[in-house]
Amino acid sequence: MNRQLAHLSDEALVALAARSEQSALAELYDRYGRTAYGLALRVLRDQALAEDAVQEAFLTVWRTAARFMPERGKASTWILTLVHRRAVDAVRREQRRRADSLDLASEPAVEGAEEDAFLHLQRERVQTALRHLPDAQREALELAYYGGFTQSELAERLGQPLGTIKSRMFGGLSRMRELLAEPGTETSWTPTN
Amino acid sequence: MDPHELTAAYALDALDPDEAEAYERHLSQCEECREQLAELSETAAALAFGTAAPAPPERLRASILEAAAAERTNVMPLLRRRWVTRGLAVAAAAVACIVVGLAVSLSQSNKTRSFTLVIGSDRTAKLQISGLSAAPSGKTYEAWVIPAHSSPRPAGLFPGGSSTSVRLRGTVPRNAVVAVTVEPAGGSNLPTTKPFFVSPTA
Repeated sequence: MNRQLAHLSDEALVALAARSEQSALAELYDRYGRTAYGLALRVLRDQALAEDAVQEAFLTVWRTAARFMPERGKASTWILTLVHRRAVDAVRREQRRRADSLDLASEPAVEGAEEDAFLHLQRERVQTALRHLPDAQREALELAYYGGFTQSELAERLGQPLGTIKSRMFGGLSRMRELLAEPGTETSWTPTN
Repeated sequence: MDPHELTAAYALDALDPDEAEAYERHLSQCEECREQLAELSETAAALAFGTAAPAPPERLRASILEAAAAERTNVMPLLRRRWVTRGLAVAAAAVACIVVGLAVSLSQSNKTRSFTLVIGSDRTAKLQISGLSAAPSGKTYEAWVIPAHSSPRPAGLFPGGSSTSVRLRGTVPRNAVVAVTVEPAGGSNLPTTKPFFVSPTA
């Protein structure tokens, strides 16, 4: 694995990808491919579909890197947004979850031993923040983000007015933002094995 | 429906296609929403780290890189820090835009300098440069279009800096090359120094 670009920022790698540096795309994949795949798998619950979503997202990075605007946000946000959008589009296309129930957003079991320490830390941090949210807000975020449900679908399935769903999403994301900015949530990680 | 209220749902990809489209139209006119969306999108993307991350199959990495390479067969990476003779043929596919990508690694400064020449179907061209330091005082960078069997034609002056995009004056004929030299401020009619960048034939 070529890691001579390891010292570059994500944004610099995107700039190099825009100039057709294939090794920059490889480095971005090495940094975010695993998270991207985990996300796609959570949304799609199907390995082949998850691989397709990740591949399409990274090829979109490759094709449109020149249009990425670092002043608008982080490169990692851009990449993971592309992955999420692909996954959600696919799950809606497949309509596979429509026959299923809301618990589809629950997390599939994965052997923790396989995870690397950094990703484990990140995961604990986000999970801790999610646990600090009021239940209704957490439910709205998890079903929308991991389940791929639209706000209208959520309103219908949860039997709530659309306005309530919207404010739960907004309240939940805003609170998550505050929680993730607190240094305390970062130190809540303890080794589990 | 007030589009301002849709920012969180958009950040979570929880809008129907028509709602998303309407929100994007609104976004182009609302600075406040753009700022809020940037924040909420970052938080939404953080949720990606909140789920288990099993290792993807090895083939996925290879598959992505192969597909990426196949999409840019018309790009020729070069290591070039000295004057080169012409005749480097670029296998340019018949596409609307030819991108000639050049990455130059400068080991002494540990910085990466890259040049990308983008030639449109109308043969107008843009030179995108990153990692090039500003021209010394009293000097300027000058781009040249050098048609085959003809003398260099001035194609524009630029000061350098971390990232520069230079629209070249005139067009770049087939089999021409594009070069960049350092010239006295104000530019020259013909290159007075050796080019430190020369593109493959376009």
